[in-house]
Amino acid sequence: MKKTLLMLTGIILLLALVSCGPKEAAGPAEAPAAEINVLYMAQAAYQPEDVAGWARLFTDVTGIKVNVDFVKYDEQHEKVVASAIAATPTYDVFSLDLIWTAEFASKGFCVPLDDKIAGFKDDIPAPIMDAFVYDGKTWAMPFLANFQLFFYNVNMIKRAGFPGARPKTLEEMVEMMKAMKKRGIVEYPWTDSWNQKEGLTCEYVWLTGAFGGDTFDENGKPIFNEGPGLKALEFMVMLLKEGLASPKSLTNDEPAARDDFIAGQAAFTSNWTFQYGSLDDPETSKIVGQAKMGLLPVSKDALGKYPNDTASVSGFQGAAILANSNNKEAAWKWLRFCTSPVLQRAYLTEMPVWTSVSTSAYAATMDPVMDIKSKQIANVHHRPRVPVYTETSSILQKYIHQALTMKMAPKEALDKAKAEIEAL
Amino acid sequence: MGSLMIYREMSTRKLLLVLILPAVIIIFLVIIGPIAFAFILSINQATPRLGGIDLKWRGLLNYIHFFFQDPQFWLSVRITMYFTIVSLAVELVLGTGIALVLNKNFWGRGFVRAVVLIPWAVPTVVNARLWEWIYAGSSFGALNGLLKVIGALPEAKNIVWLGFDVPFAGVPLLSEFFSWMGVSRALNMIILADTWKVTPLVVFLLLAGLQQIPESLYEVASIDGANAWRKFWSITYAYLKPVFLVILVLRTMELFRVFDIIYILMQYSIRVVGIYTYETGMKFLRFGKGSALSFLVAMFILAFTLLYIKLFYKEEI
Repeated sequence: MKKTLLMLTGIILLLALVSCGPKEAAGPAEAPAAEINVLYMAQAAYQPEDVAGWARLFTDVTGIKVNVDFVKYDEQHEKVVASAIAATPTYDVFSLDLIWTAEFASKGFCVPLDDKIAGFKDDIPAPIMDAFVYDGKTWAMPFLANFQLFFYNVNMIKRAGFPGARPKTLEEMVEMMKAMKKRGIVEYPWTDSWNQKEGLTCEYVWLTGAFGGDTFDENGKPIFNEGPGLKALEFMVMLLKEGLASPKSLTNDEPAARDDFIAGQAAFTSNWTFQYGSLDDPETSKIVGQAKMGLLPVSKDALGKYPNDTASVSGFQGAAILANSNNKEAAWKWLRFCTSPVLQRAYLTEMPVWTSVSTSAYAATMDPVMDIKSKQIANVHHRPRVPVYTETSSILQKYIHQALTMKMAPKEALDKAKAEIEAL
Repeated sequence: MGSLMIYREMSTRKLLLVLILPAVIIIFLVIIGPIAFAFILSINQATPRLGGIDLKWRGLLNYIHFFFQDPQFWLSVRITMYFTIVSLAVELVLGTGIALVLNKNFWGRGFVRAVVLIPWAVPTVVNARLWEWIYAGSSFGALNGLLKVIGALPEAKNIVWLGFDVPFAGVPLLSEFFSWMGVSRALNMIILADTWKVTPLVVFLLLAGLQQIPESLYEVASIDGANAWRKFWSITYAYLKPVFLVILVLRTMELFRVFDIIYILMQYSIRVVGIYTYETGMKFLRFGKGSALSFLVAMFILAFTLLYIKLFYKEEI
C-alpha cells in the first residue's frame, strides 16, 4: 500500500514538473514579441469594449500585444501602488487621475514625458496640460477631459415665473429655487452628489471657484477656511437649511444625483459631462425635452472674474508609464495611439483633449454642445496638487460632511480640516 | 527507482513528516508569514517606494497613536461596538424565537425551514446591493415605493433611509449619547439589512441545539409544576449555552470586522474599525498604521472571546 502511494506521489510530482516547465523549450527559439499591460477603469468615459477594440487595432498596426485590465475607478490607485512597489511591475501603462499627479510624481512611480510631448503639447489646452505638471515636469499624456457642467430644467424655471433662461449667478438661481418651492413645483429644487466621497471635494472646489477663489494656494497650502471657501460651504449649508437642496444629496454619488434630476425631482444640479447623455433618453428620463446643459453660474461677487462668468472643477485623466516598466518604448507608442487626435475625433462622446479636434468644423457638426464644453473647460479649478492628496481630500470630505449634517458650523469645520491637513 | 528505495527505507515517522511538510509550508506562506510581516509593518513607518517599501522603526508608536492621539479611532471603536452589540442582540432574540417556533411540529415545517435559510444563501455583496435598492432615498427606492403604495407616504415625499439623522434627535441626553456613539439612521438600517441575512444562521445553529434536548425533561418539569419561563431558563437556555457561546464568538468576530456591507452602502461615511483600517492602510498607504489597526481589531475580538468564554464556558451539562 505504502509502495503504491509513493509511486503515485512520484508520478504526480513528475507530471507537475513537466507541466510547469517552459513551453518555449520544445520549439525553436524566437524573439519575444513586445507585450504591454495596461490598467484602465471600467466606469465612466470610454467603455471597455472601445478600449479593447483600440488594443486590437494597435496590435494589428504595431505588432505589440496589449493586455488591458479593466477595474473600477476606486481600485486603480491601490493597483498602481502595488505594481509600482513590486520588483516586477504588473502594469506598464495606467490611467493617472490628475489628483494623483503629485503623489506618484514625488514618489517616482511614473516617468516624465516632457521630451516626448514637446512637439505637440501646444495643441492641448493649458488647463488640461497643467493638471499633469508637478515639480516642473509633465507626468502623463492627457487622455480624458472630464469636468462639471450645469443642468437646469427649463420647464420648472418657466413655471416658477421666469423666462426660462439659465441663471447667470448663484443668487439668481436661489431666487428661482425659492419661487419653485413656494409654488410647489418641486420639493427640493437642488440635488447634488454630496456623499462623503471624492465627488464632495469636487463639488466644493467648483463652488469655491464660483465664489471667486481656490481651496489651496499655488504652494499647496490650504486657504479654504476663509473667503470663497467659507462662502461656498455656507452656501451649501444654507441650501440644506432652507430646504432648497435635497437631503438625499448627502447620500448621493454622481449617478444618484443624475437620477434625481432626470426623474424630475430637482430643477438644478451640477454634474460631470456624462449626465448630458441621460437628459433626453426616453428609457430613463422623465424630463425628455425639458432640461438643458449650460455653464455653471458664479456668485454675483465673482462676476467679471472669469471669461464667460463661469467656474467648474476638473476631473482629467492622463495615461502614464510606470517607472519600473521594462517596455517603456512600447508603452509610449500605446500612449500616443490611445490619446491620438484621430481616435478622439472618432469618439466625440468624450470631450477631446486636442484643440484642433474640439474646434474643428466636424466636431461642431457632430456635437451641438461642443461650444459650451469648450467654454466650461477653460474655467476649471483643479483640486489641490499635494503628495498626500487622498488623505487631504478625505479630511476635507469628513469636515464638509460634518457641516452639511449640521453637526458643526462651517467655519469650525473648515478650521479643523485646515489644522488636520497641515498636520499631515 | 533509487529515490523510491530511499523512501521505502524511511521510517513511518519520517514519511509522515515528509507528507505533512507541504501543508506546513503552505500555512507558513499564507498565514504565519503574512501575520509576521504585518506585525513588522505595524512597528514601523512603512512607506511605499518604487520597487519596495521603506521601513523606519517606530516601536509601539503606531499603537500609541491610535490609543492616545487619534479621536477617530475611538469613534470607530464606539460605532463598531454599537453595530456589534445591537446586531448580536437582535440576531439572538430573533434567532431564538424563530428557532423555538421551527422546533415545534406543524404542517409545512420543512418548507418553512428551507425558506428561512434563503437570506443566508445570498452573498454579502448581493445582499448589500439588494438593500441599496430597497433603501434608495428617491422614488426609485423599493421601501419608499412600498410605503407610497400602501398610502403611508405621500407621493411627493421620499425618506432618505441611509441618512445621517441621529436617533432621538431633540431628546436631551439620548440624542447626545447616540451622537457621541456615532449612531445614525443609516447605521441602524444597515444593522437591519445585515440581521436579515445572518439571522438564519443563528436560527439553524440554535435549532440544532434544541433538537438535542430530550423531550422528557420538559415532561418532568411540567409534572414538577414549572411554568414556561422556568422551563425555558432551566432547560432550554441551559442546554443551548454552548451553542450561544459558538454564536457569540463567531458573530462577534464577523461583526467587529464588518467591512463589505458598510463599504458598499456608505463607503467611508460610517467608519467602523474595518473601514478605518482599510482607509488607513490601503487608501492612505500608511501600511504601518494600517497593520497596527489590524492587530488592535484582533485584540478587541480576542478580548470579547475571552469574556464570552468566562461567562458561558463554566460547566458541562
